[in-house]
Amino acid sequence: MAGKIEDESNDRVPLRLRPEWSDVTPIPQNNGPNPVVPINYSEEFSEVMDYFRAVYFANELSSRALSLTAEAISLNAGNYTVWHFRRSLLESLKVDLHVEREFVERVASGNSKNYQIWHHRRWVAEKLGLEARNSELEFTKKILSIDAKHYHAWSHRQWVLQTLGGWEDELNYCSELLAEDIFNNSAWNQRYFVITRSPFLGGIKAMRESEVLYTIEAIISYPENESSWRYLRGLYKDEATLYVNDTQVSSVCLKILRTKSNYLFALSTLLDLICLGYQPNEDFRDAIEALRTSDNEEQDSDIARTICSILEQVDPIRVNYWVWRKSRLPQAA
Amino acid sequence: MSSSEEASSMETTTIDKDLHVTFAQMMYHLLPNPYESQEINHLTLAYFVISSLDILNSLHLVEKEAVANWVLSFQVQRGTTNDPNNGQFYGFHGSKTSQFPPDENGVFHHNNSHLASTYCALAILKIVGYDLSSLDSESMSSSMKNLQQPDGSFMPIHIGGETDLRFVYCAAAICFMLDNWNGMDKEKVKDYILNCQSYDGGFGLVPGAESHGGATYCAIASLRLMGYVEDNVLSSCNLSSLIDLPLLLDWILQRQGTDGGFQGRPNKSTDTCYAFWIGGVLRILGGCNFVDNKALRGFLLSCQYKYGGFSKFPGDFPDLYHSYYGFAAFSLLEESGLKSLCSELGITNMAANGV
Repeated sequence: MAGKIEDESNDRVPLRLRPEWSDVTPIPQNNGPNPVVPINYSEEFSEVMDYFRAVYFANELSSRALSLTAEAISLNAGNYTVWHFRRSLLESLKVDLHVEREFVERVASGNSKNYQIWHHRRWVAEKLGLEARNSELEFTKKILSIDAKHYHAWSHRQWVLQTLGGWEDELNYCSELLAEDIFNNSAWNQRYFVITRSPFLGGIKAMRESEVLYTIEAIISYPENESSWRYLRGLYKDEATLYVNDTQVSSVCLKILRTKSNYLFALSTLLDLICLGYQPNEDFRDAIEALRTSDNEEQDSDIARTICSILEQVDPIRVNYWVWRKSRLPQAA
Repeated sequence: MSSSEEASSMETTTIDKDLHVTFAQMMYHLLPNPYESQEINHLTLAYFVISSLDILNSLHLVEKEAVANWVLSFQVQRGTTNDPNNGQFYGFHGSKTSQFPPDENGVFHHNNSHLASTYCALAILKIVGYDLSSLDSESMSSSMKNLQQPDGSFMPIHIGGETDLRFVYCAAAICFMLDNWNGMDKEKVKDYILNCQSYDGGFGLVPGAESHGGATYCAIASLRLMGYVEDNVLSSCNLSSLIDLPLLLDWILQRQGTDGGFQGRPNKSTDTCYAFWIGGVLRILGGCNFVDNKALRGFLLSCQYKYGGFSKFPGDFPDLYHSYYGFAAFSLLEESGLKSLCSELGITNMAANGV
């Protein structure tokens, strides 16, 4: 406790004791006659917000107001009213937005999982225009180097690419991240974003062949990786016939099934293929037969049913789902 | 959390309802200091507290009239001289921070009405039994249209903000509760939601973004509230739907991890709150029994704190947000003593039906 008081006296002089604020009358929070679910505010919080209310209500467009918004943001970075007022101040005081970018970076270093910070960052980048492209890509890269699945950072990055450009290196960047962690689903999603939306790559049709090869290699290395299987399916989005007929897909399923380990996704993918019309040959029947355990002895009438039965055994968390999938299979002729 | 030993969960196989009621009641009387950093979302915090007490079948501890009056004090009335086409939204402020009285002409200069706060305000009002037909729903709805974007999404506040599925959901839930859909172009909203379905079947917060449990809830609950997805669709013979339902189902079922909990995205840790975000979607679709509910229960119990509330991860300290979604998840699991949940609206069925 003593330490806390010492810290406060070192760090912060209350606004009411600062000469530059002596002319301002703070506006206390009006909680109304009967407040419920009250918050236990600290003195500092109450004071800063009381002064904030005063400058906001007076629409005081001053540099002291700008520094007050920084104090208020440090106490509640989600306060969109404060951020909005700060933007009015930045505009009317004609503040160099490069400096503002550094401010955002400092706030983000404390807590980057906050929508308002990113909304503000986007506003600054929009104002700066094309020249902001590289700094924004670098900024998100920095955040992603700490947390490679940071949702806000990815969202900002996608916005930068779509608005300011910078697509040229993005596929390489995805490959780098996936080389670091092939289970990074955010990087797989970004990869999909790039191959479907980059103006330089010709779209999914042009990219499919090379992407299928890349993905199959990833699947073979880690067949338990949900992300790569979903990406493979995504490469054939709205192209069910192509998906069913591309032997690369069925082959990788067979290859994994034959290893008899980590084959859940291979099995469910094969089931989906069959439901879409794929006709498995003897090789598949043998591989599936080899996975049957003594527990499921009753003979299923067709391979799809057998797959469901195996999944019921090896994926017990979702046993009811596989039973349901089985119940919806067309009756064998 | 450093002192995980201190926070270690109870070795128990049951949910300790009384302790959770005490936890929620404590929050009701005074939100601890760390919550001041979320002051701007005061109504949302209040929604978590009051809806918790409702789920825990302890609404008698709430002073209903005082709560209703307090919530109504956040409402922004359109002054008589305000131009109805001024682009503003007339809903509810999130907090008292930026609430000011109107000037002598009755004009409000600081309208910070927010969609999420408005959703929470209406939800609380329904929970405490306030008759929403006494509100000027037309003014709220018609002004809400000002927030809809050309792509169908919503920004949360007229002064600008990020647009994504969270506010689409808030808008849909507001229209549903007011029983007034003049506030949105439903077709455009539907198209926006469909654009958010990812290649893997889940939904991202914006088109192109990674599938996410919370965003998927917002998408499916909105479609349900708007009437584009029927209740219990999985039990019908025909699975044809606006969305790619089989792909969604496969994605959503994979969110249950080997520890029994649900994760928000593939290859991420399981976390208490997704028991509601994912579980809520399963309830709407009619797929609750496709997951291992016993294992889910076990995971949630490992996040139950010995003095009430739930933490994000096993062994951590509890917080209001994860506690609320822990209670909501146990309600979806049909725990005895808890009220049943209207998962698409985020309040109990009794509150939703105005019982």
